[in-house]
Amino acid sequence: MTLLQVRGLTKKHDDVGVLNGVDFSLCKGEIKIVMGPSGCGKTTLLRCLNRLQEPSSGEIIFDGEEITAAAVDIQQVRQRIGFVFQNFALYRHLSALDNVKLGLRKLRGLSDAEATQRAIYELSRVEMQDHQDKYPAHLSGGQQQRVAIARALVMDPAVLFFDEPTSALDPLMAREVANLLNRLHDEKVTILCVTHDVTLAKNLPGDVLFLNHGRVEAEAPISELMKNHANENVRAFFEQKAPSE
Amino acid sequence: MTFLEIVSILARGAGFTILVTLACILTGFFSGLLAALLFRLDIRPLNWLLHAFTYTFRGIPLLVILFLVFFGLPSIGLPIPPLVAMMLSLGLICGAYLSEVFRGALEAVDPNELMAAQSMGMRRIQILTAIEIPQMLRFSAPGMLNEFTTVLKYSPFAYTVGVPEILKEATSLALTTLRGMEIYLAVGVLYFLIYKIMMEMFLWVERRYAIPGFKQI
Amino acid sequence: MSEAFAFLNDIVDYGPQILSGLINTLILAGTISVTGLLAGILIFRLTLSDNEIIRKSTARYISFFIGTPLIVLLFLMYYGLPQWGINFSPFTIAVIGFTLNIAAYNSRYLSAAYNGIDQHQLMAASAQGFSSRQIFTLIILPQTLRRAIPGLTNQVALNIKDSSIAFLIQYVDFFAQMQEQASLNFQYLKVYAVTGAVYLLLVSLVIFASKRLETRYAIPH
Repeated sequence: MTLLQVRGLTKKHDDVGVLNGVDFSLCKGEIKIVMGPSGCGKTTLLRCLNRLQEPSSGEIIFDGEEITAAAVDIQQVRQRIGFVFQNFALYRHLSALDNVKLGLRKLRGLSDAEATQRAIYELSRVEMQDHQDKYPAHLSGGQQQRVAIARALVMDPAVLFFDEPTSALDPLMAREVANLLNRLHDEKVTILCVTHDVTLAKNLPGDVLFLNHGRVEAEAPISELMKNHANENVRAFFEQKAPSE
Repeated sequence: MTFLEIVSILARGAGFTILVTLACILTGFFSGLLAALLFRLDIRPLNWLLHAFTYTFRGIPLLVILFLVFFGLPSIGLPIPPLVAMMLSLGLICGAYLSEVFRGALEAVDPNELMAAQSMGMRRIQILTAIEIPQMLRFSAPGMLNEFTTVLKYSPFAYTVGVPEILKEATSLALTTLRGMEIYLAVGVLYFLIYKIMMEMFLWVERRYAIPGFKQI
Repeated sequence: MSEAFAFLNDIVDYGPQILSGLINTLILAGTISVTGLLAGILIFRLTLSDNEIIRKSTARYISFFIGTPLIVLLFLMYYGLPQWGINFSPFTIAVIGFTLNIAAYNSRYLSAAYNGIDQHQLMAASAQGFSSRQIFTLIILPQTLRRAIPGLTNQVALNIKDSSIAFLIQYVDFFAQMQEQASLNFQYLKVYAVTGAVYLLLVSLVIFASKRLETRYAIPH
């Protein structure tokens, strides 16, 4: 069942097209990876999908609703889209627990006790329950990411967006990310993940959406894309990323 | 008359000194906060007005503004009580300086966190109250302490408009006893004590709300 | 219209006094800015002393003058000293009081600037065989002074504004003359508005000069 359907999405920035008609769909429970050379519009695509940046044209149908319409309460929509940022963007003045609780308290209006209970549960799902009282400054990058994931999951989102989940981590931690995403996938979380990290993409089960110059140029499992693909941009990208393979 | 007797007479004025200081600090805090937040709206004509406000109130001596308010406004039919005159002069001067402190601190809030809050579905006002203001106040603590100290140090000028605070008590006592040396020494000691207490209280609050590892990046 | 004319006329009639007041304001503000800077450098030097007692008493000095209103010090000297048979002029008292006070603030600006300079240079200078006195005058002072320009010039602007309190010890400055003017024509609002505008102009000149100084003496990165 389709959760997210994108048709002809464009985004112009100072008359320069960053996205030039993107089409794709994402099904419930699916994991999809967006790859492409830097400047291809990956991050812009993700931010347009929940209108952190306003798309210039096109349709975004999320859970049966066209969300680019002016009448849409975008805040309501955003509450159902979990977003894990590249640099995690934890609120630095709040402890790990309070970071996770904030949305429940302010957006869902839950009582403190109820919010605490649910937040602790989400933190334990990402094995961060022992660090709940620490502040972001005292958490490692990998730990911050887990808190950011718990902060997104606690809102029961229909989909989880990841923007470059490995780029702010050291290589050892980066390997852990694939395991974490796989586990979430096993728990039927729908995931859209933007990355330039081939190793991560190879360790995830979903299809890769290859984005170039703001267009989808290929959509296939990564193994196919890496095997002497018909599109020369795809070939050039993977040759440069993994020349030995 | 012993030094201690002098101090005890002067201490009667201390209540008014504290009253004037607190009233001006509160005026300064809220006007500074309001100015900093209005600045965020980024409306051209409003920004000019806010610039004009901070520039004038930072560029004109307290006594000139105080006399303008206290002696000038009644001449156009607006009698101003002494305490209010202090709030409109010293309080707003404090607000003008604080608005700069607050503006700088607001800019120090990480834009990524604001985007994260936006992507969570928080509204502008929720982001402001849950993320921006709590962080901004913490960043502003040193600047606030500076400005609050300045308010205390300028509070004696309330005597020029007839508030019976410490300096007022001192001048009348000095007139009758002609022992200015001891009296003004006692005044200095009293102000320094109030300053110390005020600073300790402020630092206590700051520590109470301190966050481990939280600093401006 | 004629009212505005009358007001202007009053000011022109009273011009010489106002002008002498303005000159007195500039003399006081100028003097205390210079003495306050020199005394500030001295206090700052003492904060770097090897002697712990000197450092501690300097810290107390700074804390006391930052925590106590200047007007109290001025009154102490103006109303207190005659008790011991010492009679200073209002100008002398203002210069002493302001200097003691401004020095505390300036030394703080210099200390903040000092904390920002690369301490390795100082170690390098010691290693080269410079004495601590030479290190202060050749390395520390030139850098801290430049870095502290914004704070130090801001203090000059404050000095101009704060010099207006000297009328409370009968120093006849610009503000005193304008009050005299106001009490003659009862145009309090107008007179104080003009007074404020003049101070604003003076402060603006200092801010302008400060920006020029800052770019002129910026330390290249």
